[in-house]
Amino acid sequence: MSGRSPLPSGFRSLADQLRSWPDARLSRLLAARPDLASPVPHDSSQLASRAAVRSSLLRALDQLDLLELTVLDALVVLGHTTPERLAEVVNADDVAVAAALARLGDLALVWESPAGLRPLTGVADALGSGPGTSGLQPCSAEPPSAAQVDKRLAELSDPARALLEHVAEHGGEATTGTSRHLVSPADARTPAEELLARRLLVPRGGGVVVLPGEVGLALRGGHTTREAVGTPPALLTSERAGELVDRAAAGTAFEAVRRVELLLDHWSTHPPTALRTGGLGVRDLRATALLLHVDEPTAALVVEVSYAAGLLATAADADGNPAWVPTDAFDLWIATSPAERWATLVRAWLGSSRLPGLVGRRDNAGKTWNALAPELSGTHVVETRRAALEELAALPRDRVLATGTGAPSLVARLAWLRPRRPRTRADLVAWTLEEAAALGVTALGGVPGPARLLLEGRDPAATLTTLMPEPVDHVLLQADLTAVAPGPLESSLARRLSLVADVESRGGATTYRFTPGSVRRALDTGWGAGELHEFLASVSRTPVPQPLTYLVDDTARTFGTIRVGHAEAFLRADDETALAELLHHPRAASLGLRRIAPTVLISDTPIDVLLPRLRDLGAAPVVEAPDGTVRVSRPDLLRARTPKEHRRSAGASAARATATVAAVVTAIRSGDRAADARPTGAAAAPLTPSGSLAALREAVETRSSVLIGYVDNHGTSTERVVDPISVEGGQLTAHDHRSDDVRTFAVHRISVVRPIED
Amino acid sequence: MNDGPLIVQSDKTLLLEIDHERAADCRKAIAPFAELERSPEHIHTYRLTPLGLWNARAAGHDAEQVVDTLLAYSRYAVPHALLVDVAETMARYGRLRLEKHPTHGLVLSSTDRPVLEEVLRAKKVKGMLGERLDDDSVVVHPSERGNLKQALLKLGWPAEDFAGYVDGEAHAISLVEDGWSLRDYQRDAAESFWHGGSGVVVLPCGAGKTIVGAAAMAHAQATTLILVTNTVSARQWKDELVKRTSLTEDEIGEYSGAVKEIRPVTIATYQVLTLRRKGSYPHLDLLDARDWGLIVYDEVHLLPAPIFRMTADLQARRRIGLTATLVREDGREGDVFSLIGPKRYDAPWKDIESQGWIAPADCVEVRVTLPSSERLVYATAEPEERYRLASCTAEKTRVVRDIVAAHPDQPTLVIGQYIDQLDELAAELDAPVIKGETTVKERQRLFDAFRSGEIGLLVVSKVANFSIDLPSAEVAIQVSGSFGSRQEEAQRLGRLLRPKSDGKSAHFYTIVSRDTVDAEFAQNRQRFLAEQGYAYRILDAEDLPA
Repeated sequence: MSGRSPLPSGFRSLADQLRSWPDARLSRLLAARPDLASPVPHDSSQLASRAAVRSSLLRALDQLDLLELTVLDALVVLGHTTPERLAEVVNADDVAVAAALARLGDLALVWESPAGLRPLTGVADALGSGPGTSGLQPCSAEPPSAAQVDKRLAELSDPARALLEHVAEHGGEATTGTSRHLVSPADARTPAEELLARRLLVPRGGGVVVLPGEVGLALRGGHTTREAVGTPPALLTSERAGELVDRAAAGTAFEAVRRVELLLDHWSTHPPTALRTGGLGVRDLRATALLLHVDEPTAALVVEVSYAAGLLATAADADGNPAWVPTDAFDLWIATSPAERWATLVRAWLGSSRLPGLVGRRDNAGKTWNALAPELSGTHVVETRRAALEELAALPRDRVLATGTGAPSLVARLAWLRPRRPRTRADLVAWTLEEAAALGVTALGGVPGPARLLLEGRDPAATLTTLMPEPVDHVLLQADLTAVAPGPLESSLARRLSLVADVESRGGATTYRFTPGSVRRALDTGWGAGELHEFLASVSRTPVPQPLTYLVDDTARTFGTIRVGHAEAFLRADDETALAELLHHPRAASLGLRRIAPTVLISDTPIDVLLPRLRDLGAAPVVEAPDGTVRVSRPDLLRARTPKEHRRSAGASAARATATVAAVVTAIRSGDRAADARPTGAAAAPLTPSGSLAALREAVETRSSVLIGYVDNHGTSTERVVDPISVEGGQLTAHDHRSDDVRTFAVHRISVVRPIED
Repeated sequence: MNDGPLIVQSDKTLLLEIDHERAADCRKAIAPFAELERSPEHIHTYRLTPLGLWNARAAGHDAEQVVDTLLAYSRYAVPHALLVDVAETMARYGRLRLEKHPTHGLVLSSTDRPVLEEVLRAKKVKGMLGERLDDDSVVVHPSERGNLKQALLKLGWPAEDFAGYVDGEAHAISLVEDGWSLRDYQRDAAESFWHGGSGVVVLPCGAGKTIVGAAAMAHAQATTLILVTNTVSARQWKDELVKRTSLTEDEIGEYSGAVKEIRPVTIATYQVLTLRRKGSYPHLDLLDARDWGLIVYDEVHLLPAPIFRMTADLQARRRIGLTATLVREDGREGDVFSLIGPKRYDAPWKDIESQGWIAPADCVEVRVTLPSSERLVYATAEPEERYRLASCTAEKTRVVRDIVAAHPDQPTLVIGQYIDQLDELAAELDAPVIKGETTVKERQRLFDAFRSGEIGLLVVSKVANFSIDLPSAEVAIQVSGSFGSRQEEAQRLGRLLRPKSDGKSAHFYTIVSRDTVDAEFAQNRQRFLAEQGYAYRILDAEDLPA
């Protein structure tokens, strides 16, 4: 748009300009400022007035970088002006300023009036003295030439100059106290009087003097800022081979996926209770950290990412209490390849506004943040996280963020790109870097190939698969009844093996131990001894050690010797001595066992209590169904329903967004046509609250008088001519012509705002 | 992908695939800082412990070397947290130093003042420290040197000991290698002990630990106090020293219940030292009777608690501990390390076996089924009676007879815990029995007869568990043991591991009662051996080759 200079005629209003825009440009505006599109505005005037509403303006300003803010601020300082003058005043090169101006135009923050470029009404107010503003006051309506200002400055005494510079650096406003307003500098007795006399400070009434914009510009060498703002600060980097980054990241990525799998598998059978406030208890988090062999912050991240990916939700546990349970999406997730699983997790993390970094810290009230607590999320998290990673991904391969100094330089760069983001940014960036490193999105300070693809919106799975450790399909069985998988096991194999043996140590490899208990567990779930032997022989590269074969046979031999009846809680066994053993077991007294036949015992204990107790006593009972068949028991895996937001695909929501924007554009166009068809001549009555506010703000900026209809305390409606001074907190401060006094008016009582043509 | 033999787990275990071509190099590289935990047939497990890492620091390895080694041999990416932890742990060593001060004697000093402050405020070190000399050093009561080191270790700030050792009274001792020579691993063990100053040498039974002790004495060239488990063992030490070194009978004294001689080399039993009369230990003076230059602790895993306390006072003297199995059922391995010294040498049993220095062994567990009548008795018995009932079933006697018959010309030991059972077996097998009440003289006679082949079958109680050298034994049958004691099992197997003249393998049978606590204890006991690579075959009594 740099080539597009404003039309000599300009537009009467922003609404007019919007009407002249092609559909594509209008769509761009609605996409960049989505809040304008909902609810759908009636026509371009409503769109224009909505664009000037403070809350919408603040959102738009938040998207600007330092250069764009500086350009906008310069425009506020200069008032109406030309792009050329603007480029002079901003301390950056012209091309950059032109590009920034184009963006401001696209965002409808700047429009082309007949008098030149103008900031949208309310921009000055919304900018306030926030980041990216120069602190200069607007230029006078009829400014003296630059040469005149320079001359006046040159004639200043030293104390006066010092005072002037102080005022310029502190908002351009000061109170004068008893200073007299003199005509000749020669009469001045104080520096303030001298400045007033030379018209370098201008009285504004109420003892307040301001430093006009043109003076501030002259003090700063003709620019609104002393520092150049054209380019963002560079990142501090060091060199690291890309391959190394890829490999290290793939290792971490694999670990991250494994941790989620391990945790959710565990929670399938042992779900932790959800706190009444919805979070995860501190003790459960500690147990998680222990289970995963990680520290608590990493454990919190694993939990939060699982939740963000829709793999974890609350559901009622066996006792009906709310508990954290894997969702049915977990079953689908587990069936995909590790690389795809990783991509799912990282996409969820990138799009999640959750703040795992806060877990374990205390909030302002001194309460510790719990993982999974509903309020543990932040507004700018997604944007900051993505921005930080994109900056890193933009580094060339082989360059990584320098250790130590790299992170602060990233914060500084982000501060340039989004100056209006809150102070918590440094924390957010630090957490992003930590979390990314724990998930394998970064490694050694660099972004590996797969993560780059993911950030670009492409599928990283194929690339990542080649980098991840190859899954192995065998284990080494050893005579000390352990099995070692010398690498990551294929998922289905790992699950079957962990049923038959207990996991002793995890990591790149996994160590399993076979015990009578673990073998019995396998038998409990319906395996037979033959099947077990076959399974062990098929997964082992080495011969199955004799003690292991014996262990399986021996456990299978005693397995099911005792059968427990369901209906009357009877215990029967063909083996009389086994029953006697049980009957006389000192710890069985409380079970209320009684012998009713040589091979049958009965018990008055309910089966669900009885069964574990019997197993405790070393028996291996089997539950018998009423028809005499053996019932196998396996702990049910708990599942919750996938939360709604995760059931929609990303593609569908993007398509929906596009469709919405198009519909809004169509609606506005038809509204405009309707307005055109309306008979003209009727008094323009900007009666909508945002309309009258916009009109008042405009009057404040143009320092023009307006006619307002006002309903006073007694319900009497009057019309007054006022000169608005400021609109703040629902109050209009204005000079009332009728009472010739500065008064405040409640905005909601103003019924009509009409400009007065002078 | 790096194709290394090592897999580093996040729980600080290291898995070494021993069939890998670089496995031997890797083992050598990680041995200084990682503790060997298990060495079964395919994958050895090492563990990184703070103690191991500190010992590595003491031996002059730094964190960077450790990290480099892990990275060089690791097959997969090494968990970053683990590397950080290694560096941090190793950095804790040596912040505190024990030094000799020209005027104040022993002082504890530090380069890191906050650490010293933290330590001075700890309850554990109260009373061990004296006057504060300046900001960075404080006087240590010389008698508390050992206790202080132990306490600092527990606080996680191990002190580096620069105070050195007293030389002791010089006494010429040298090895006399006529017809035998020091084996490589024995030399390595003695030398790494000597360079380390003090410490423990772990070698399998039958691998010649006595010789390592003698070699250490030859290094020290000073008067030596040797502490052993019992009188028979003391005599064996004496015979061995006379045979292998320049020492003569007159230079070696025995200090036991029967004889109380103090000579340049004195062999004392733990029992006599820990004898308590009217609240005091009357024989404790022995420790100060001479200016000992070296103290040898035989079977250090059996060190009784009072000896720990006495050892704490002996920190200025060189100490060597010898053992086959540094597993203590009381879990006080840590105390052994801090008081006697870190592990200086360790070799997997199977390695020594493959070099031919100890005999291979075939371990068999035979399971007998209790007859119904006995099962009924067992089922209704009090829990504390159950182990004895299960251990002493008459079924076992039958099986022992079968096994003895299966090895007709091989010297056989039958080992048990319960005297009644042993007496019964002895009567059944018509063999002599050695138990607690057997006199030392009678024991000596029977052992000698067994060694010479006069007797081919001997029934022994736990008195023969340790330090009894019976090189000719080829078959051992274990009928009962001290519940789940792993080291007892290892020691009993050790009786058989002296290399056989014809290279035959030894046979070690354990007889257990199926489905009883006996079988459970057996499983626990066997675990140590299984982890050393001695796999048990399990047979049913019915399947025994008749």
